[in-house]
Amino acid sequence: MCGIAGILYKRGNTDAAVGKALIDMLDGCQHRGPDSTGFALYHDAEPGHFRLRFYIGEGKEAETTVAHIKDKLKEFQAETVREAREGCTYAVTVRFSGDLQKFAYDMEHVAKVFSIGASLDIVKDIGGAHDVDRTYHVEKFHGSHGIGHVRLATESDVAPDASHPFWATGFADVAIVHNGQITNYWKMRRRLEKRGFAFNTDNDSELIAVYLAEKLSQGRTLEEALRDSIADLDGTFSFLVSTKDEIGYAKDRLAAKPMVMFENDDMIAIASEEVSLNKLFPGQALNTLEPPPGTYRTWHR
Amino acid sequence: MASIDLTSVTVRDANERIRACGEKGEDVEILNPDARHHIGVGLVHPITVRVKGSAGYFCAGLSDGPRFVIDNNVGWGVADNMLGGSVVVNGNAGAIAGVAIRGAEVVIKGNMGSRAGQVMKAGTLLCAGNANFMAGYMMYGGRIVILGDSGDKVGQDMTGGSIYVAGKIQALGTDAKLIDLPAAEDDELRAFLDRYKIPFRAKFQKIVNAGKHLRYPRTEPRVRVIPFFIASGDQSYWNAKVQEDIHVKAEIGRYRIRGYGAARPVPHLSDLAFRKDMSRIPADPAMTEKVNLRTSIGGRSGAKPLALSMPVMIAPMSYGALSKSAKVALAHASRLSDISENTGEGGMSDEQREAASQLIYQCLSGRLGWNIHDMRRANGLEIYISQGAKPGLGGQLMAKKVTKEIARIRGIPEGIDLRSPSRHPDVLGADDLVIKVEEFREATGYRLPVSVKLGAGRVRDDIKIAYKDGFDFVELDGLQGSTGAAGNEVLEFVGIPTLSAIQEAIDALAEIGAAGQMPLVLMGGIKDGADAAKALALGAHAIGVGTGAILAGGCIACLQCHVGQCVVGIATQDPQHERRYNIPVEAQNIHRYLESIRWQLAALAHAHGYGDVHQFKRDDLVALTPEAAAITRLPYEPDLRQRDRAMLARAS
Repeated sequence: MCGIAGILYKRGNTDAAVGKALIDMLDGCQHRGPDSTGFALYHDAEPGHFRLRFYIGEGKEAETTVAHIKDKLKEFQAETVREAREGCTYAVTVRFSGDLQKFAYDMEHVAKVFSIGASLDIVKDIGGAHDVDRTYHVEKFHGSHGIGHVRLATESDVAPDASHPFWATGFADVAIVHNGQITNYWKMRRRLEKRGFAFNTDNDSELIAVYLAEKLSQGRTLEEALRDSIADLDGTFSFLVSTKDEIGYAKDRLAAKPMVMFENDDMIAIASEEVSLNKLFPGQALNTLEPPPGTYRTWHR
Repeated sequence: MASIDLTSVTVRDANERIRACGEKGEDVEILNPDARHHIGVGLVHPITVRVKGSAGYFCAGLSDGPRFVIDNNVGWGVADNMLGGSVVVNGNAGAIAGVAIRGAEVVIKGNMGSRAGQVMKAGTLLCAGNANFMAGYMMYGGRIVILGDSGDKVGQDMTGGSIYVAGKIQALGTDAKLIDLPAAEDDELRAFLDRYKIPFRAKFQKIVNAGKHLRYPRTEPRVRVIPFFIASGDQSYWNAKVQEDIHVKAEIGRYRIRGYGAARPVPHLSDLAFRKDMSRIPADPAMTEKVNLRTSIGGRSGAKPLALSMPVMIAPMSYGALSKSAKVALAHASRLSDISENTGEGGMSDEQREAASQLIYQCLSGRLGWNIHDMRRANGLEIYISQGAKPGLGGQLMAKKVTKEIARIRGIPEGIDLRSPSRHPDVLGADDLVIKVEEFREATGYRLPVSVKLGAGRVRDDIKIAYKDGFDFVELDGLQGSTGAAGNEVLEFVGIPTLSAIQEAIDALAEIGAAGQMPLVLMGGIKDGADAAKALALGAHAIGVGTGAILAGGCIACLQCHVGQCVVGIATQDPQHERRYNIPVEAQNIHRYLESIRWQLAALAHAHGYGDVHQFKRDDLVALTPEAAAITRLPYEPDLRQRDRAMLARAS
């Protein structure tokens, strides 16, 4: 139960104020989800490097967790390039070459992984868009694209690790924000688990992320993966997915959850409500579009 | 003309100013609307409001009379529940455009989103572009005109009204059919288009209800008692009740519909006892004076709370399920006992408003009888999500009770087997609910408490959502709650008992650090002051009585409420039967019953040494059965049952 937002700048613009735009859009629909706010941001990739962000909590326990993370990184011969403690998280950039899925699953045993990717960094915490910005300095982020989410917890806890966006555990650079409820969650999850994929929450949004990432890893395009998702997933949903070069949306066949988009030559912005889009263009009457039920689309940066 | 710039004025202040302009007859323009929600809601004067940009959700909602012009787009639910007046949208409209309108004219120059005109009752919704999925879903009347393509499932489960489509009909919805368009109607449509200066030449196709889902093929028979064989020993398996059930099902070929609530034994407040031995405490005739019973409820968000003389409310019951006379007697009794009455589904009658001193006005999924004028004269507003008797289902009102008068107040066709929608058109999640509650508050200037009625199902999650969505209080209704008509299996087996419900609700609030911060009104099988005192001790702030009040007011509990031929004139709309109901006498009976609850509450509080009824606490209680102990985590003390029996024996 939430609000979602996403933005992508076209024509090779990789220095747009994506952080500021997402903060404004999410602030505009904070009434849809006062509990927590999160962002999936895409930095420039450095060859051979991965960005990792862990949820470590606070206090003494956090210290121990960081120590465990460092041990585990050593075990995988992942060499730390940069590291930082921000809010309840530990962000570290490592040089790593190897089986990323195994690496990710093993890291999960040490601490909750928010994201791993060559570009992707997921920042999420309790509070509103501006609260999260104060701790994580999202506004400073410039890039080509990103997605974000405000959450009203309904069936699970109010906690940083229950917040969105969700990373597609084990698949670099895939993130999702979702508004709605997947009703065949357990069926789909068991199907993916049988094929060896691990789930780290009971949140249906993680399922969408893993589902899409698995399709991508089999060589399907993001667009094809989204088309399949509308047929395979039951329930009410409007979701946004992002990879290192693309963003896309899918909307269920019942059109139960809102979504509005605005596109011009420079950018595409998608949000739960037009009020978020107008935050980017105050005082302007926008030519927006509400995607029809059962549709999907992607945009490349 | 007044000019309001939303970059410097909040929507709340803007709405106050728009309403003030309405009273003066001055037109208004809104600058920099930037798709903000709730612009112009609650307006009841015929002024023109020009929105210079896009508006968000519920623009012009809950209004009667004004003319709105929006230069660009609107979000969900434009003109929600608008009675009279007009809205012209020059851009596109989001989902449920024209939801529940009852006479307004809504013109969308661009495209409109899904479920346009859902549960509309009268008026015209015109879309010059294309409509989306399920236009006219569950509409009861009025007309939808679509100049472009219809979208999928157009007219899905429509009950009345007409849909005219000039473009392609993608697919008809369930129970919709195409018929020939009479020439006179074609002329009317073109006159309407001319009036709004929309040039148009193509031909219209007309869609109406096919009538296959409006009535149950067979109605419930009257039940006659036929003797069943007497077995030696236990008859818990095959018995006269089971026999009757099979006979009826053999006739109607479906689930049975009946009145009242769950009739099987479930753990309840009667499985709890007060720890304290009160047998030696002398009764004090003046104790209702000495114990403070006054209860304020509904002020959590700054609205004017209800001021109850004791922590008791009349539970919501509809005018429709009950006769107007029964509703008036309940309202009158609530005034005599200085507590609150609740309209339930189906609207507010003048007589009921007159009789009750404090009246809560309920909004249900079908928006039957819901309107801004009655909102303004209510003392509290309540959004119904579900009820204990049938969580997850909408109301049912069988054809015999859908008389001309009931059809008029609800805005539906006469004589249908009315099944209200199971969910609200504009509340598909907790996120939408926030915006809906805000609409009620905006429309009434934040003066009235807004509560939510929840049937006990997923109480733990639901209560947390209710807290976050800012409700002033929750009416929590357990499995034992009654209704005028529902499927028997649903009544018996869907939902959780009242006792479990209150415990889960209390735990839920504690889990999110909000213990005691949102009052809970417990209902569902609460029959007397002892039950009420136990409910308060468990953590309820007040209780509701429905079945008890009806019984006090003459109900003979034949369970045939759905048939509509109630012999005592309570659950009927037939004047012949209703004539038997003596309002002043029954109002006094209900009042005396309510006073007995007051006396018991005071006596129990007094016996505990409390000066205030809200001093009851969990530690005052013990559980008499292992089930009740498991549910409430109270100590299991079966021996106290003996003490109670001994006390009763002494008393008799």
